[in-house]
Amino acid sequence: MASLRFVVKRLLLLVPVLFGVATLVFAILHLAPGDPARIIAGQRASTEQVNQVRRELGLTRPLYIQYLDFLTDAARFDFGKSYSISQGAPVRGVIADRLPVTFELAIFGQLAGIFIGLPLGVLSAVKQDSMTDHLTRVGALSGISIPIFWSGPLLILLFATYLGVLPTSGRIESTLFLPTHWEFMGRQLPLTGMITVDTLLLGRFDAFVSAARHLLMPSLVIGIYSTALISRMMRSSMLEVVRQDYMRTARAKGQGARITVMKHGFRNALIPVVTIIGIQFGTLLGGAVLTETVFGINGMGLTIVRAIGASDYPVVQGTVLTFALLFTLVTLVVDITYGYLDPRIQQ
Amino acid sequence: MSADTPTDTETGSAPGTGTDAGGGVDRRETRGFLGRLRASPFLSDLLSNRLAVVGLAIILAAVVVAVYARFGYDLNALTQSRLGTEVADRTPPGWIGPAAWNQHLFGTDAAARDIYKRCLFGAWLALKFGTITVSVSTVLGVSLGIIAAYYGDLTDNVVMRTMDVLLAFPSLLLALALVAIFPRELGLWRAVVALTLVYTPRFARVVRGAALTVLEDEYVDATVALGAADPRILARHVLPNTLAPVTVQSTLNFGLAIIDLAALSFLGFGAQAGTPSWGLMLSRGVDNGLLTGKWWLSFFPGLLLAVTVLGFNLLGDGMRDALDPRMREAID
Repeated sequence: MASLRFVVKRLLLLVPVLFGVATLVFAILHLAPGDPARIIAGQRASTEQVNQVRRELGLTRPLYIQYLDFLTDAARFDFGKSYSISQGAPVRGVIADRLPVTFELAIFGQLAGIFIGLPLGVLSAVKQDSMTDHLTRVGALSGISIPIFWSGPLLILLFATYLGVLPTSGRIESTLFLPTHWEFMGRQLPLTGMITVDTLLLGRFDAFVSAARHLLMPSLVIGIYSTALISRMMRSSMLEVVRQDYMRTARAKGQGARITVMKHGFRNALIPVVTIIGIQFGTLLGGAVLTETVFGINGMGLTIVRAIGASDYPVVQGTVLTFALLFTLVTLVVDITYGYLDPRIQQ
Repeated sequence: MSADTPTDTETGSAPGTGTDAGGGVDRRETRGFLGRLRASPFLSDLLSNRLAVVGLAIILAAVVVAVYARFGYDLNALTQSRLGTEVADRTPPGWIGPAAWNQHLFGTDAAARDIYKRCLFGAWLALKFGTITVSVSTVLGVSLGIIAAYYGDLTDNVVMRTMDVLLAFPSLLLALALVAIFPRELGLWRAVVALTLVYTPRFARVVRGAALTVLEDEYVDATVALGAADPRILARHVLPNTLAPVTVQSTLNFGLAIIDLAALSFLGFGAQAGTPSWGLMLSRGVDNGLLTGKWWLSFFPGLLLAVTVLGFNLLGDGMRDALDPRMREAID
């Protein structure tokens, strides 16, 4: 089967890339200034103590041994323990805590992009060269030009500081406490870490409302870029589809314009849009770094920024590799989906 | 690894562009660079695209402002605290404040520095460091792309697989990780180096694609048969044919570079404290202005940043529309 061969080929190509990614991360952090042993031991530690820590970390061994160790550990997804920002906690645990937070933000941002971008794109295409079309197109270009660290603060100033209708930062009201597990059919199950989902699982609607209010501005801000890209892609894709013969045939059969556009046009135009949604996932991850910093959300993005600032190398290695892995996998899935939707790609 | 990702194929033409002009373009044999420019359908398409012209105007205005600020203002006065001589956190005139209209047009910041002048100087920093980042990554990317396409086989594999590794990271994250290598004293320069490495693979990929298409043409074989040396073929035949997609990619990338440079400064990994860079000013705005409602700390630097970037995006978009549709496919 051709498509299976295509998938296997893409998966095999993934191996050298991930190997290179891990090597690059190892190299970057060994080139970085600052002595990890000194960071852990603290500024007041004696040289003896620092050397002791250095031996414990295995930093006295030859570089190639450290490199091989790093590769085997990375393959097992073990990055050791955090030096400073979550002192002593295993990096794997830190990632497990923070990844759902970022995931939730990205999903809601993408949903905002889809629900605003798709209708705008269709509208723009259907009313090509009208005022609506021009406004949408310029709006989309502006959306790509506005940085998150500007739109975020402006929204906070307007809705939180001046109007006081939305919270400034964080994920939930600080007075609300959530348990760490939820009960299902008499069993204790761990929560997902995505706060809107968790509050619903726990049946805490007050907490859900609070979480949703906290998530509203960050998702809109991170979704601006997606909205802009999706509406542009939808417009051009729709314009292409409208010219197809089957559209004319449908109209010739006496089908109404609205039904033709929605039933034949929209569905076919969606194919390239679906792929753009996947492709700009990486931008979304980069956007998460900025959005989380602006809104004080403790996800992967804020963790990376803090870890780099504090030279917490195990955390930097773990989080950066996780992001690269996720990004690569999403790109792969997009390629495969596209190959499936458009078999010509496979050749 | 995703050399075959679909690209944005804008099919609609802007008002007045009318694709009908394309067929009837006068292809006179013209001599000289200017003559060829005037006859080029690309340029006439571009100039009849109103949005692209607006973009060009914005960029020119930004350059004028930047040069004016660079030579008209004293950087020390914009960097050091003015507390004692000026009023800190002053609202912009006309906004619930008694200040005269020409005093601190955009208000002052926590260190009593004039935000208007700082914003204008920010244009200089953004354009200067943006230009360096984009030009160096363009030159590196073009060289690598052409070399990979021309020599093929092992060279191609080594170069492009390395590019794949760099492309496997979300761009801002790779920049963040790279910035960590360099000492803090380098300020914006470490952001420049990091972003250059981040952008280079994009150019390499675009150029390699365009170069491969050119190399298939028969006239290249003819040139080889005539005994032309590698450098001559690359410089005279391959390079000129990749310039169009590269120019578009550079323009679009310029906007991105300005945003990313500001983003790194915003996150604390770019400009050093006190520098009047837009990203740093926005970061101060978040620290000092959000809860206290000092909107002008964030509003003005962000506005200038967004408008400048919009200029590059409008122009880049117009260039992409005006390009040969075959070329469009090479650019994402």
